[in-house]
Amino acid sequence: MSTLRISRRTVLRGLGTAMALPWLEAMAPAANVAKGRALRTGAKRMAFFYVPNGVNMVDWTPEAVGTNFVLPEILNQLEPFKSELLVVSGLAQDGAFAHGDGGGDHARSLACFLTGRHPLKTDGANIRAGVSVDQVAAQQIGHMTRLPSLELGCDRGAQSGTCDTGYSCAYSSNISWRSETTPMAKEVNPRLVFERLFANNDPNETPASRAKRDRYRKSILDFVAEDADLLKRRLGQTDRRKLDEYLTAVRDLEVRIGRASQLGVTDPSGLPKPQGVPQDFKEHIRLMFDLLAIAFQGDVTRIATFMYANEGSNKSYSFIGVPEGHHDLSHHTGNAEKKQKIKQINKFHMEQFVYFLNKLKTTREGEGTLLDHSMILYGSGISDGNSHSHNDLPVVLVGRGGGSIPTGRHVKFDKPTPLNNLFLSMLDRIGAPVDQLGDSTGRLTGL
Amino acid sequence: MPARRLPALPALLLPALTLLPLITFAADVPGAKAPARAVSYDRDVRPLLAKYCDSCHGGEKPKADLNLAAMVDESAVVKNRKAWEQVIDYVEGHEMPPKGKPQPSQAEIEQLSGSVTALLAKLECGRTSDPGRVTIRRLNRAEYNNTIRDLVGVEFSPADDFPSDDVGYGFDNIGDVLTIPPILLEKYLAAAERIAERAIVAGPSALGPTKTFEAEDLGTQTAGQKYGDWARNLYTAGEIVVGYDLPRNGTYILRARAFGQQAGPEPARMAFKVDGRTLKSFEVKAVESGPALYEDRVKLRGGPRKLAVAFTNDFYDERAPDPKKKDRNLVVDYIEIQGPLPDEGAALPETHRRIIFRKPTKPSERVDCALAIIERFATRAYRRPVTSAEVGRLMKFVDLARENGDSFERGIQLMVEAVLVSPQFLFRVELGGRKRRGEPAGAQPVSEFELASRLSYFLWSSAPDDELFQLALSNKLREGDNLEKQVRRMLKDRRAKALVENFADQWLQVRNLKNVNPDKGRFPNFDEPLRAAMLKETELFFESIVREDRSVRDLLDANYTFVNERLAKHYGIPGVKGDQFHRVVLKDGTRGGILTQASILTITSNPTRTSPVKRGKWILEQVLGAPPPPPPPDVPELKEDQAVVTAGTLRQRMEQHRANPNCASCHARMDPLGFGFENFDAVGAWRDKDGNFPVDASGTLPSGQTFRGAKELKAVLKAREPEFVRCLAEKLLTYSIGRGLEYYDRCAVDRIVDATLRDKGKFSRLVLEVVQSDPFQKRRGSSE
Repeated sequence: MSTLRISRRTVLRGLGTAMALPWLEAMAPAANVAKGRALRTGAKRMAFFYVPNGVNMVDWTPEAVGTNFVLPEILNQLEPFKSELLVVSGLAQDGAFAHGDGGGDHARSLACFLTGRHPLKTDGANIRAGVSVDQVAAQQIGHMTRLPSLELGCDRGAQSGTCDTGYSCAYSSNISWRSETTPMAKEVNPRLVFERLFANNDPNETPASRAKRDRYRKSILDFVAEDADLLKRRLGQTDRRKLDEYLTAVRDLEVRIGRASQLGVTDPSGLPKPQGVPQDFKEHIRLMFDLLAIAFQGDVTRIATFMYANEGSNKSYSFIGVPEGHHDLSHHTGNAEKKQKIKQINKFHMEQFVYFLNKLKTTREGEGTLLDHSMILYGSGISDGNSHSHNDLPVVLVGRGGGSIPTGRHVKFDKPTPLNNLFLSMLDRIGAPVDQLGDSTGRLTGL
Repeated sequence: MPARRLPALPALLLPALTLLPLITFAADVPGAKAPARAVSYDRDVRPLLAKYCDSCHGGEKPKADLNLAAMVDESAVVKNRKAWEQVIDYVEGHEMPPKGKPQPSQAEIEQLSGSVTALLAKLECGRTSDPGRVTIRRLNRAEYNNTIRDLVGVEFSPADDFPSDDVGYGFDNIGDVLTIPPILLEKYLAAAERIAERAIVAGPSALGPTKTFEAEDLGTQTAGQKYGDWARNLYTAGEIVVGYDLPRNGTYILRARAFGQQAGPEPARMAFKVDGRTLKSFEVKAVESGPALYEDRVKLRGGPRKLAVAFTNDFYDERAPDPKKKDRNLVVDYIEIQGPLPDEGAALPETHRRIIFRKPTKPSERVDCALAIIERFATRAYRRPVTSAEVGRLMKFVDLARENGDSFERGIQLMVEAVLVSPQFLFRVELGGRKRRGEPAGAQPVSEFELASRLSYFLWSSAPDDELFQLALSNKLREGDNLEKQVRRMLKDRRAKALVENFADQWLQVRNLKNVNPDKGRFPNFDEPLRAAMLKETELFFESIVREDRSVRDLLDANYTFVNERLAKHYGIPGVKGDQFHRVVLKDGTRGGILTQASILTITSNPTRTSPVKRGKWILEQVLGAPPPPPPPDVPELKEDQAVVTAGTLRQRMEQHRANPNCASCHARMDPLGFGFENFDAVGAWRDKDGNFPVDASGTLPSGQTFRGAKELKAVLKAREPEFVRCLAEKLLTYSIGRGLEYYDRCAVDRIVDATLRDKGKFSRLVLEVVQSDPFQKRRGSSE
C-alpha cells in the first residue's frame, strides 16, 4: 500500500526532500543515486577534446621535463591545475601521415587521432578508419550508464563540397568511430543534448505509462531487427554491412531502453533547457561544457568526445580580434603576425577548456572532486599547422584518473611514440583494458 | 582542357548497339579509329615516363599525389583516366616537366600523348556495360523530411534534429557514406513516435494537452501547508488557486488527486471553482492509503482563468473520542487541466483520415479494417507492394495495443511507428529484377518500383507519387515514352524544388554560405538578410533554368537574375523594393550567371579578402571538371619580399607565389581564373579598387588565351561548353545514383554529354539522358 504514499512527481523526477522511508532507495534524488553508484564503484570519467589545425608548438611545449617546468603561453591558463595535469610531448599519430596517399592531412589527422589507424583514402566508397579509443571503452563499460558515450561538437558536418582532397567529409567531421566503418555522428545542438540527457524526465508520464511505452518500444525494435535480418539475406555483401550497422544500432538502443528503468533519471536542476545553438561561439562551447559536466556528474555517461570545430575549419575568430580564417592562418609560412594570431586562437580554445575543468574541480564527489576521478585529454592530430606534421602532437591530460596518474609533470619522448600507447594506459585505468589498439606498441612508459 | 575520348558514335548506331547482348569484356573496338599499329604501354609510354617523370612522380612522396612510377601496365591508364588526361594536358602545354628539368622532344611529346589517347580509347562503349554498384542508401535528412511530408502529410521536418549526413563526392546522398550510428536510430524512433502521434488521433492524446500543478510546489500564494514532500494539506476551509491561460473556448477536463483526513459525520468535501464560481462539488471519501482522482468536464472560455480546488467542510472536534477523528482535512496531490477537447463530431485531421481510411464500426470488422490500413500504408512507405506476410507481422501491433488496453487507433499508431523505423522504409532497398538461374551475375535492370524510387528521389528527394507508383505497379514505367513523360512532368512539379536545394546547392557549394563569416570590420554590409538573399538568388536562378528548360550554358552567363531590395542594393541595381525577389534584366554583361553571384563569390573568399586561388579552384572543380592536384603537404616557406607584402596588391603577392617553380604549374591554372573576378570583393560587391590599388582583372590562361575582366573570362568559359556539360553531367549522375563515378562510367557520361550538346544544352535533355543511362537504369548483380 505504501507506494501510494509517494506522489507521482517524486517517482518521476526523484526530486524533493529526504524521504521518511529509508527502504525506498529508488526514490531518493536520482542524481544522487547515480553519483552514489559512480562513487561506490570508483567510476572514472574519460573525455577527449579536439582542436583543429594544430597549435603553435613553441608556445605549447614546456622547456623542462619532470616536475619542475614552466607552462608556456598557451598552457599557462592551466596553472591552477598544474599539479593535476600531465603534458606529454613526443607522441605521434603515424597513421595521419600520407604513406603514399598524398594530400589530405586534415582529414587523416582527425580520423586517426583516436583510432591510430591510417584511414582509407576515399571520397566515399568503402570509408574506413578504425575503432576509436572512446568506443573501445564504451563497448566495455558503457553498459553501466544510461548513455554508453556522448559525442559532442560545435560544427555540424560539412553540408557540401570537398572537405579535404580525396577524402569524404566523414573523416574530417567525426572523431569517434563505433566500428571501423561507422563514425559516431556528433550532437552540436545544446537543446538536443539536453533532451538526450534528460530523456526520461517527462513529467507527464507515470511509471505505468512509461513502462508501457518502453514495452511498445521494445516490440518495435524487435520487429525492425527481424525485418533487418530478413532483408539482409537477400542483399549483397556491401549492403549487408549496412544492415549490420543498422542492427548494431538497434541492439544498442534495446539495451539502453532496458537499462534506463534501472538507472533512474537525472536531475536537470541547475541548468535551464537550452533553446538551440547560441549565436555566440564562446557561449555555444560553454553550454556544451555545462551539459557534459552535468552528464559526468549525474553519471549519465562516463565517456565523451568534444570537437571545437571540424578538422580544417576555416572559422573566423573576429570576436577575439582574429577575423582571418583559422585554416588559412595555420598555413602561416613562418609569418610572425600569422603565428601570433594562431596563438590567440589556441589560447581562446584553452580558456574554454579551463572553464570546463573548473566545473569538474568545483564538483565534489566523495572525498575529492569530479576532476580527481577524471582523465580529460586535450589535443590535436596536427602539431604545427604549417608543416602538417603528425609527430610531437600537442597533448595534455588533466585529472588524476582516481589517483592512478602521477600528475604534475611534463613527460617527453624523444622518439615519436604512438599516441595510442597513452590510450592503452588510459583504458587500463577506466577499466577497459585492451592489448592492442591501432598502431599501439604497448603501454606508455613512465605513467 | 579538351576532354579526350572516343569520337562520338553516329547517333543512328546507338539504338542498335544497345540491343547487343551484354558482354562483360570487349575485344578490339570496331568503329574506333585504330592507330596504325597497336599501341603498347610497355614500349610507347613507360620508357618516356621513366625518362622524364618518375623521378618526381614516384617514390614515397610523389609530387602532386601522382605516382606515375606505380603505373606499371595498361590497366592503370584506363582506371586513372582523369589523371592521364591531365598528364597529357600538362605535357602538351609544356607545363611539365617543369623548367630546369630535362625536356622531352616534340616527337616524344607526340608519342606520349598519341599513345595514351589511344590507350584511353580502348575502353570501348556500347558493349561493356558495367552499371556499377550502388550501396543501399538510407534516406538522408532532406529525403526523410520530404518522404514523411508526402507519405503522412505532416510537415514539421523531424529530421532537422538528426545529426548531419556526411558528404562524399560532394553530396550527402552517397550510399557508402550514409551510416547509421546508434544516435540516429534513437532519433528515428523518437521521430516515428512524434509523427504517429501528430498524424493520428488516438486515446488520451485525443483529449488535448494537459497542464499539471503539483500542489506542494504552489508555495505561499495559496492556502494550506505542504504535506510531506508531495501534497498540500488544506486544514481549514480554504482554496488552492492556480492561474492558467486557456488556449481557446472549448471543453476541458479538470482533475484533482486528493484524499481526506476524515472526521465528523460526513466525508471531506472538495469543490472545483473557476474564477470563483463553483462548478462541481465532490465527496472525497478516499483516505491516505488510497488517494483518488476526481474529475469534471466543463465548457470554459479561452483566456487567463483562475482555477481553484476548495475544501468546503472543515470540521474540528476537540472532544472526539478517537484522536484520529478529531480533525477533518483535505489533502491534495495535484491539480490538472486538460483540453481543449476535440469537439464532438469535429472532423479528424486529414492525416488521420488518410491513414485510417476505414474505421471498424463493430468488432467483427476490426481485423479486416486493420489489414487494409496496414497494406495501404506499408506499400507507400516501402515504395513497393507488400506481402501478406509483412502485413501479418505488422498486424501484431494492432493486437498488442488491444492487449494493453489501448484503442484501435493507438494500435495503428504503433504500426506506423514500426514501419517508419523499419529498414524497408529507411533504406532504399534495391534487389533488382529477379535473376534467373544460370544467368551471369552481370548487369540487370532495376525493377520498375526501384526505378520509380530512383526517379523520385533524384528529382524530388522524396517517394514516388501516385501516378509514378501506379505506372510501376502496372509495369509500364519503361513502356513507350512513359519515362520521358514522367521526367518532364516531375521537373514541372513543385517538388522539383528539391533538385535545386539538394543538387544545385551542393554542386555549387552554396550550402557553405551558412558557415562563412566575412570580417565585420571590412564588410560591415554583410548581415543575415544579405546572407539569405545570396542563397535565394542562386536557388531562384537555377530553378529558372530547370523550369524554363533553358540551356545549361545559361548557368555560366545570363542576362537576368533575381534580387530583392537588399541584394539589389548590394549589386547596385536601382529600383527594386521590398523583401520579395524580382526577376531583373542585367544589361552590362558583367554580372550574370552563377560565376558572378554573390553567393559563390563569397564562399570562395577568405573572411578578410578575396581568394583568387579558391575562386580558380572552384571553377576548375565545379565548372570545368578538372580539379587541380592537391597542394604539397608542407607549403614551402616563402622568402617574402617585405616591400611587396606590405605594399603590394594581392595580385602582386600571388604572383610572387607563382615565381616558385614548385607552385607555378598548378597556380598558373587556378590563379588567372580567379583574377578574372577580382572586381568582386569578398562578399561579391563590385569594386574598382582593392585598397589603394586599381583592380587588375586581366589574366592569361595556360592555353595562352588572355582576357580582361569577368565578362571576357565568361566568354572564354562559355566556349568550353563541352567541358562544362561533362562536368555538370558527372555531378548530376553522381547525385542521381548516389555513388562516385568510376572509370567504366565514362561511356555513359559520353552519351549524356553528346545528347545534351545536340539538344542545345537543354536542362531537361541532360536529366533525361541521366535517367536513360545504364548506371541509372541498371545495377550490378547482387552476388557481389
